[in-house]
Amino acid sequence: MSDKTINISDVVNLPLDLKEQKKALEQKSTAVLEGKVKVYDPNKDNVKNLLEMLKNRLSRQIVSSLVGCVHCGMCSDSCHYALARPHDPTMTPAYKADQIRQIFKRYIDWTGRIFPWWVHAKTPKNDEDLNRLKNIVFGTCSGCRRCTLNCPMGVDTATLVRLTRGLLTELGIVPEGVFVVDKDSWETGNQMGVSQEDYLETLEWQQEEVQAELDDPNFKISIDKEDCDFMYTVNPREIKYDPRSIGYACKIFHIAGESWTMPSFGWDQTNFGLFSGDDKLGGYIAKNLYEAAKRLRAKRIVISECGHGYRSTRWEGYNWAKYKQDIPSESVLITLIRYINQGLIKVDPSRNPLPITYHDSCNLARSGDITEEPRWILERICTDFREMYPNRSDNFCCTGGGGALSMVEYKPLRMEVAKIKADQLKATGAKLVCTSCHNCVDGLSDLIKHYKLDMQVVQILDLVAEALVIPEKDEKK
Amino acid sequence: MSEFLRILEDEVQIVALLFMATVYTIRLIWMFRFKAGKEVTEPVGSPRVGVAYSMMNVAMPWAMESARKNLSFYVQFVIFHLGVLMAITATLILPYWPEFFESEPIVRIFQLFMGAAFAVGLIRLIRRITSPVMRLISTPDDYFSVALLTAWFAAGVFAMPNQYEVSEWPLILFFGMTTLFLIYVPFSKISHYLYYPFTRYFLGKTMGHRGVFPRKKGGEKPAGLE
Ligand code: SF4
Ligand code: SF4
Repeated sequence: MSDKTINISDVVNLPLDLKEQKKALEQKSTAVLEGKVKVYDPNKDNVKNLLEMLKNRLSRQIVSSLVGCVHCGMCSDSCHYALARPHDPTMTPAYKADQIRQIFKRYIDWTGRIFPWWVHAKTPKNDEDLNRLKNIVFGTCSGCRRCTLNCPMGVDTATLVRLTRGLLTELGIVPEGVFVVDKDSWETGNQMGVSQEDYLETLEWQQEEVQAELDDPNFKISIDKEDCDFMYTVNPREIKYDPRSIGYACKIFHIAGESWTMPSFGWDQTNFGLFSGDDKLGGYIAKNLYEAAKRLRAKRIVISECGHGYRSTRWEGYNWAKYKQDIPSESVLITLIRYINQGLIKVDPSRNPLPITYHDSCNLARSGDITEEPRWILERICTDFREMYPNRSDNFCCTGGGGALSMVEYKPLRMEVAKIKADQLKATGAKLVCTSCHNCVDGLSDLIKHYKLDMQVVQILDLVAEALVIPEKDEKK
Repeated sequence: MSEFLRILEDEVQIVALLFMATVYTIRLIWMFRFKAGKEVTEPVGSPRVGVAYSMMNVAMPWAMESARKNLSFYVQFVIFHLGVLMAITATLILPYWPEFFESEPIVRIFQLFMGAAFAVGLIRLIRRITSPVMRLISTPDDYFSVALLTAWFAAGVFAMPNQYEVSEWPLILFFGMTTLFLIYVPFSKISHYLYYPFTRYFLGKTMGHRGVFPRKKGGEKPAGLE
């Protein structure tokens, strides 16, 4: 752990890296050839294109946030970047939002078109300016919306940052990681480029694991089964790095006597469109999932543990895809509450004796509706639950939100500002920090390692699986 | 009272007010020409309750961490805006009901509010100049708007006794500034009160729909217990 403070101009002036874009062109990526993912073209008038796109993307909601800021500075105390770097005024949320606000004022609003200097209205001069804009909106904001909820005017800075990201994504002026994940999402239908073969093999493997554990060869993870009570959707990270979580969930569904299925396509409940600001990608991924549920005539969609996945699938996805919600969708936490409450599964809290705290994912608490559900479960599955302060919609970001984990070039800054979260975690004295988001698991694990905290990250499903009383197996014991 | 002051207090104010109202009307038409974002999901909470909560936010300093942690700033905010309210009220009463200000306690109350708002204005101006964060985000319009309002409060304090028979200058200054104010406001950040209902409405509607507003404090019934 070092106390070194990052020189912000090193971040803001990071050059546009085009290695992955060149590689995609050489490999004739279909997403690139079909124009779904844009590559940077220095011969185009990118500034003009950005201005035109901005004009077309403005909605009443966005315009009100653009004109509504009074520059009162109240939001600076709410941002973990600004709190961790009090010496650096460029971390203040209003400054970040001003990067697009200035352009709006110069190009679209009234006073700025006539007296630009009076309201600091200006348009970018060239692609270098656009690259700096990229580094500000992708590198210095995790889109956590803490400033939004703390703005007396109700200005949605996080949405302005996302809008700006979306414009730059259309120009190919994005961090390498964002480009790669966008491309993979378009080409494979999931953000980690998991092939269908790998997906199905992983499910089969988990099926065998659970069969062995339950000593029940009849246990099945059914794929594409029609007319089930629900369709379970997961995060590709679960397939790639944490398949146990799928096994845990399916085991619980089985014990609860549930009828469920998983789709062979349209299973990714996460959505990188939320982070890259690309509504088209967001709509595509979300629609795959909604259509899968329709095809399988599932009565519900259940979303595994993931903050941005829940936000995208439950809320934003329908709007991006302009898809009228026809099937109810819920977080797996709600499914678990139902099972515990109705006695469909039994849990023994003494199996989770370590002190546990809970980290609210930004997307669940500030952009979703999930704050009390994880706590209700935790109170029943562990013996020493302690709140973290501040919590619920006031909680601080894990610092890995907004797609930050895919943008390695900004990691040193991310680790520096993670001090706020590290202090918050430390103060709980807990040995386990539980979250309900795969992204937060990685964000928190990074900072726990960096700040050498004596703590481990777990999810609700891990703890429920640990506390789960498996009838026959436990009787035999 | 001189004819000049009478016209300044009456006809000039009406014209300036009409100008402001016209610009605001055009401004609102301009804003409403942008498409409205549509929510097509099934709600968890109530958009109406969310809007009400969001609108009332200004009167609930405990509901927002930024206000909770900066209570002195919130108090300043209240004083400043009460000063604005008193000053606007004065510009409407002085020309048409001058007897109202014959009562000394009333004059003193108005002076007290405007004087306090003047002090807060100075504090805000100093903060804007000295804080690196505020300096970075402030535009000339931000400085000018606070300075103009602060000077207007001072002019209001001197104009309040309404003693034009002693000297008309304080009243000329106050109403002169009011005129400038009415013409300048629609183009400045002072117009935020026009946008406030919209920003808060939009945020409240979305957050209410999703069940984020009213913000949960613990003890609320979780979903799934039906
Ligand atoms: S975004 Fe809100 S809190 Fe921040 S400076 Fe603007 S008005 Fe103030
Ligand atoms: S959304 Fe979060 S990270 Fe971004 S500026 Fe606001 S508080 Fe900071």
